[in-house]
Amino acid sequence: MRRVMAAILVTVTALSAGCSSSGVASRDPGKVVMPITRVTVPGRLYATKARTLYRFSGTRLTAMLSGIKAKDPAVTPDGNRLAVAQLNAQSSTILLGDALGQNRHTLTPSSAAEGPLWAFAPALSSDGQRCLYLTDRGKQPSSPQNLRPNDLGIWIMDTASGQSRRIVAPTAYTGGDSDPVFRPGAADQLLYTTYLYGGTPLQPVARLSWHSMRTGAHVYLSPDQARNFQPAISPDGRFVAFVQATAAGDDLEVMPLAPAYNRDPQPYPTDAAVLLESGMVSEPVWAPDSSAIAFLKLVNGSFDLFILPVSSSGPAVRATGPAEAVTHGSFLDADSRLAWSA
Amino acid sequence: MNHSGARGAPGGLGLRRSHWIGLGIALLCLAVIAGVLIYLSPVLALLDSRPAVPVRGVPAPAKPPPPLASSQRINVLLLGSDNDQKFQQNALLSQTMIVVSIDPRTHQVTLLSLPRDLWVDIPSHASAKIDLAFAQGGAPLARATVEKAFKIPIHYYAWIGLNGLVRVVDRLGGVDVDILHPVLDDNYPNDFSDSGYGTERVYLAAGPQHLDGRRTLQYVRSRHGDLLSDFGRSIRQQQVLLALEQRMAGMDLVTAIPTLAKDLKGHVKTDLDLVRLTQLALFMRGLHGGDVRQAFVTPYVHDATSADGQQILVANWPAVHAYMRQLFGSDLLP
Repeated sequence: MRRVMAAILVTVTALSAGCSSSGVASRDPGKVVMPITRVTVPGRLYATKARTLYRFSGTRLTAMLSGIKAKDPAVTPDGNRLAVAQLNAQSSTILLGDALGQNRHTLTPSSAAEGPLWAFAPALSSDGQRCLYLTDRGKQPSSPQNLRPNDLGIWIMDTASGQSRRIVAPTAYTGGDSDPVFRPGAADQLLYTTYLYGGTPLQPVARLSWHSMRTGAHVYLSPDQARNFQPAISPDGRFVAFVQATAAGDDLEVMPLAPAYNRDPQPYPTDAAVLLESGMVSEPVWAPDSSAIAFLKLVNGSFDLFILPVSSSGPAVRATGPAEAVTHGSFLDADSRLAWSA
Repeated sequence: MNHSGARGAPGGLGLRRSHWIGLGIALLCLAVIAGVLIYLSPVLALLDSRPAVPVRGVPAPAKPPPPLASSQRINVLLLGSDNDQKFQQNALLSQTMIVVSIDPRTHQVTLLSLPRDLWVDIPSHASAKIDLAFAQGGAPLARATVEKAFKIPIHYYAWIGLNGLVRVVDRLGGVDVDILHPVLDDNYPNDFSDSGYGTERVYLAAGPQHLDGRRTLQYVRSRHGDLLSDFGRSIRQQQVLLALEQRMAGMDLVTAIPTLAKDLKGHVKTDLDLVRLTQLALFMRGLHGGDVRQAFVTPYVHDATSADGQQILVANWPAVHAYMRQLFGSDLLP
């Protein structure tokens, strides 16, 4: 009887206290949903959902690379070359093709002497001749009895010859480095995220890193004991958009870049970065004409594609209007990069 | 036709009508009770309603739970175990131990992770890693061990099998997490292989993303690629716990709870009673980001090797107890 009374009391309490939802946690509809009033996307903007590659152009949506589980699309600024990471059961490789994803070939091996390999996050140079990417190539063979690190390092490949080399070695047991991008207009420079641990006790840290392939110089652009990640450089090479983790969420920020660095700038430029949009955002990317920044944002439990119009003609970047939703309740892959070409 | 009879016996008819009304109300009540019981039966199945039978050698809970109407602190010990087929179901290690402390006075929740390799005195047993307490004496011994070591009164426990976590997350439609580091593990235990002994390669990119149940399990469980090992895993476990709480805050619990409970049969167990469970669920729905404090004993432990060669963590107990006083004030056991 006590149990019956408890059950009734619970139900009444739950109902009267408003246990029913405000309806914010939506469910994955299994397809990309566009708002009734569609946003016109200039150029070609690429994103993935459930590992299928989609291209947004104008108000049209096109599924691409049928049968391929795709992650991290990358394009040249003119859109003539398209790269993706192809996911296999226990490995991944980088594919490079033309604008339609046809005539593609595999750039990286799915396995080597050290075992099956990962390859992610391709980034193409403006002429498509070079490709930055992440891989665990060069790791030591590992087994449950003899555990070895397999962190991701940053490699570069000449796409014509297939010659590749590692340019940034990861710190063991950090997960490695992520998000490599070429700096437009400065072919020897790249930005990426370095994952580390800092503070006492040790806490996860993500730092924006600048690297010169010409001199080998490495400089942090963001402080220790903070999490700044996923850099995206403006097409003119003057600004970098990135995600800054705060206690309240993950914000989209923008800061200017110096022509080059020879030591850590103090204070770190991230300290004075400009907030463009707050919330849980990821994977920013610039429009090829610098007129907007696209990103994924968590809304009602779904990561959706947004475009924020910006002006970068002055010394700083400012939003020129509110962010517009390109998709609605679509559960896009927020761990997969966006790419945007003319 | 003679209708006079009907008109002529108003008193009798009135009595019958009241009987009918009474009967109707009684049936309605029964229907409501039956409906509520059917609705909540999956939930009731998860509740460990057995009275706390004293287990030989295991001290009884140090303090009874505070009354429902009180504003006293409530501490719940969350236990997580591998419970796939390669483990003896009656002797599971607790791979995860988190004390969830709810303080209605300050409207704050403290999440305190206890490292599984911590070397402690287990009541009526030899000293061992703290994860062995659950395997040797179930929730009562795990509770008594935590109470003895940390002086925290544990009022309730809740246990979840790790595969139960997959079901919870999937039933909730996934969770949204900002993954703190890239997670790479070439030797992640594949619980979904036929034998349960296989391994698989795991990669989770860093950054905000939506995780399904299986990838959530990989995130909270992988430790081979993490410099902080079990501590790193504790940070991730607390992060997912908070993400689950946020996810549930946006859900229609009235319809979700019975289905969730049905899915979780055999994967979740708790001695929280139904009223308290609801009370806590409602409290959690009112939480904001700043109301949750994450705590770890990592600064007060160091690596060591036990006499039998195990890699363990040894605590600086005076420092740990000072930290507990900082977290729990005067709500600790003497």
